[in-house]
Amino acid sequence: MGQRIVIDPVTRIEGHLRIEVEVENGKVKDAWAVGTMARGLEVLLLGKDPRDATYVTERVCGVCAGSHGWNSSMAVENAHGAELPELARVLRNLILGAMWIHDHPLHFYHLSALDYIDVTAVANYKGGDRGLLNVKERVAALMKMGDTAPLTPRYKPDEFCVSDPDLATTAVAHYLKALEMQAKARKMSALFSGKSPHQASIVAGGVTFLPNVSLIQQFKSMLNEQAEFIRNTYVQDVIAFGTGPLLPLAQAGVGGGYGNFMSFGGFPLKDGEFLYKPGIVTDSNLKKIDDFDEREIREKVKYAWHEDSTDNLHPSQGKTVFELDKKDAYSFVKTPQYNNMPMEVGPLARMLVQQPKELMDLVNKYGIKVGAVARHAARAVESLMLLDAMYRWLDELVDLIKTGDTRIHDTDHWEPPVEGEGAGIMEAPRGALGHWIEIKDRKIANYQMVVPSTWNFAPRDEKGTRGPVEQSLIGVPVPDPENPINVVRVIRSFDPCLACAIHLIEPDSNKVLEFKIN
Amino acid sequence: MDLTTYLISKGVKRRDFIKLIGTTVAALGLSPEIHSPKIAEAVEAAAKKPPVIWLHAQDCTGCTCSLLSSFDPGPAEIVLDLLSIRYHETIMAASGHVSEEELHKTIEEGGYLLVVEGSIPTVDDKYMTIGGKTFSKILKESASRAAAIIALGSCAAYGGIPAAGPTGAVGVEEIVTDKPVINLPGCPIKPNWLIGTIMHYLMFKDIPALDEYKRPLAFYGTLLHDNCPRRGHFERGEFLEDWNDPEQSQYCLLLKGCKGPKVYTDCAQSFWNDGVNFCIGVGAPCAGCTQPEFYATGPQDSINRAGFAPLYVKQDSFKLPGLGGIDAKGIGKVVTGATVAGLGVHFGGKMVFGKKHNDEKDAAEEAKK
Repeated sequence: MGQRIVIDPVTRIEGHLRIEVEVENGKVKDAWAVGTMARGLEVLLLGKDPRDATYVTERVCGVCAGSHGWNSSMAVENAHGAELPELARVLRNLILGAMWIHDHPLHFYHLSALDYIDVTAVANYKGGDRGLLNVKERVAALMKMGDTAPLTPRYKPDEFCVSDPDLATTAVAHYLKALEMQAKARKMSALFSGKSPHQASIVAGGVTFLPNVSLIQQFKSMLNEQAEFIRNTYVQDVIAFGTGPLLPLAQAGVGGGYGNFMSFGGFPLKDGEFLYKPGIVTDSNLKKIDDFDEREIREKVKYAWHEDSTDNLHPSQGKTVFELDKKDAYSFVKTPQYNNMPMEVGPLARMLVQQPKELMDLVNKYGIKVGAVARHAARAVESLMLLDAMYRWLDELVDLIKTGDTRIHDTDHWEPPVEGEGAGIMEAPRGALGHWIEIKDRKIANYQMVVPSTWNFAPRDEKGTRGPVEQSLIGVPVPDPENPINVVRVIRSFDPCLACAIHLIEPDSNKVLEFKIN
Repeated sequence: MDLTTYLISKGVKRRDFIKLIGTTVAALGLSPEIHSPKIAEAVEAAAKKPPVIWLHAQDCTGCTCSLLSSFDPGPAEIVLDLLSIRYHETIMAASGHVSEEELHKTIEEGGYLLVVEGSIPTVDDKYMTIGGKTFSKILKESASRAAAIIALGSCAAYGGIPAAGPTGAVGVEEIVTDKPVINLPGCPIKPNWLIGTIMHYLMFKDIPALDEYKRPLAFYGTLLHDNCPRRGHFERGEFLEDWNDPEQSQYCLLLKGCKGPKVYTDCAQSFWNDGVNFCIGVGAPCAGCTQPEFYATGPQDSINRAGFAPLYVKQDSFKLPGLGGIDAKGIGKVVTGATVAGLGVHFGGKMVFGKKHNDEKDAAEEAKK
């Protein structure tokens, strides 16, 4: 019997996550992922005006805000037979695009990098760069005061933490620069969407705002600054870390998993195609990309606190009947599967379906395997793809406006339908996102969301097959049980969003804490 | 007491202090001659940084993200120079037991600002746990030694959207009943609301003047409708009905469900994201996110608030211009002049105070006292 390690809270993620691992001979032998907070957003939508779902589900998550709003609008439009005007599609792409280029660098620098940098090494910087000396003084002053929060305390740096003073100081300087850039990316999104987080412009049927030429130019100028930062700083840092100090982790494939990947397709283009293609990879076979078929999704509940009668349903028929004293169950999160397989979703899944040359060349040149480092690389490469696309969408926006067509909303389908069923299925920054709605008497009769972190952080299925994150932790080195830094590195590489993953709970039970193995 | 004051009280002069840190400066690989005075300045500044415990409950992290999208001060300045953020799950380096220990250490030291983001479940408080502890227990412990408590965002202030859900989600002041709570509602918050409130507290060691919903009047003291750029169209009876019509694009959004006539916020005077925009600016109706009525507080409420659902429909209680006018009185009613006793040394001054559930009569009586 190995040693049980509990990490709760797992920080630098969105939401509340508890991870338990069993460690034997310095390696993870088994793992359990548990969400510890729920709000009940699907339940509160019942009986509400279907159009409110866009606003309410937008608030599922304040990090990837915009994605839920769009998927929800898409579900309502789908249920109503509404047709999204071209201008609205392009504007949504630009609003969301700005959010994605906010999200990916933020994940690398602010949520992940502190696992890979020994911040105290900054005090040993001996170079003459004025900018870096400024960073050194800033950090040294904090260290002298003994007030380096929130950079410390931390797990003890290990051999994979960058302690070279030049590299560490540069990384901290970029951490600070990236803080400024993510604020600017949100500002950029707000130009077209009112505010960020929680944009206001995307509503069922379209968008509420057509920007004028001056705003479009402002957006473009801000995109230029983001592009400069992403191309010359963010992507270069990911490559420098991944092929430098982290190369052993990358080549060992620490934090790998099943090799099953799924993409719903992200950012619709004018020809009905997607910028990020939908598709399925199974068993790490990158030579065979299967078509994605939404009908193959099922949600299982064997190890979730849900009644067995709700097992194995398609989300459009999804039910939520809780049984919190259920034997052996250990998570609020259901177990979604595709064709009976657990699937990893997110940037790596998208990029392995897409296989862009930049990523495949990098991976082949350095022998990088599927794992935590590969996830960071995929996130960087897809940011480059997105930047190029955003310039094309700005051109498309101007071309459409030139035609004199100002339609941004399907006003004929604004009043909710008497009844209907619809789905909004599209990629969010963290992976495959699905919203399903059923409308009766012009009100919401059923609402179900299956979100990226539900796929990744699912508990075991009926056969005991672990969820993708649980599986990815198997074999992760933990030389010091007091310092499970590799475990959090792997968890964070998935960019977890637990507020998304759990949106419903049983109100009449007090069994939650009985799953406690402290 | 900060470090500088402490050292001075012990008879350590600034010159000695600089000398004192010289050896450590040298150990850090810095030149003591050049860097000691600078570091002394930084130390003096750093010594005044207020410690902050930031708890996440039933939240979406949107308020944290919003604060980090601040300009002037920017996020790096806020995180490193302005505040000493000891516990904050989204940004802190530590995880698991290391973060738990930091939380407990900070609570023991006391005198910190407590910021709470997210609502608290009451149907069963076990629905929200961190480190195997229920959130309400963590909140009470953290509140016990806090110098000031800020309920950040609509969820922490009044329950917000989750209040309409099955968990019985409530705001902080329903759980922390023995200490004053400053409410900063909004979905999410606008950064200047939090930064301004903290700056006020640091400058005056006192809570800013609040309205009856415990919101600082400085930010929530004016009716959105009074300052709305589209007010002229409202008065002329020009209402947006079709977003596709460029002529209507700046018209009043009342028929699209805008709650502006009942919402107290400075959104129309101070825009979002470095001042570039706000909801109404893009033709989207105000959802009333700074009000206790947001989103769907039902008629069961003790003061019979109707709630703001549905969002995109004009509710009957919203009046068109002309005869009858706008029925906006009674919302955000301010009660002045009450001195609050027994709030501890930090809150010795006067503040505007009112109970959330007071009706006007009770409020008037309280004001006389």
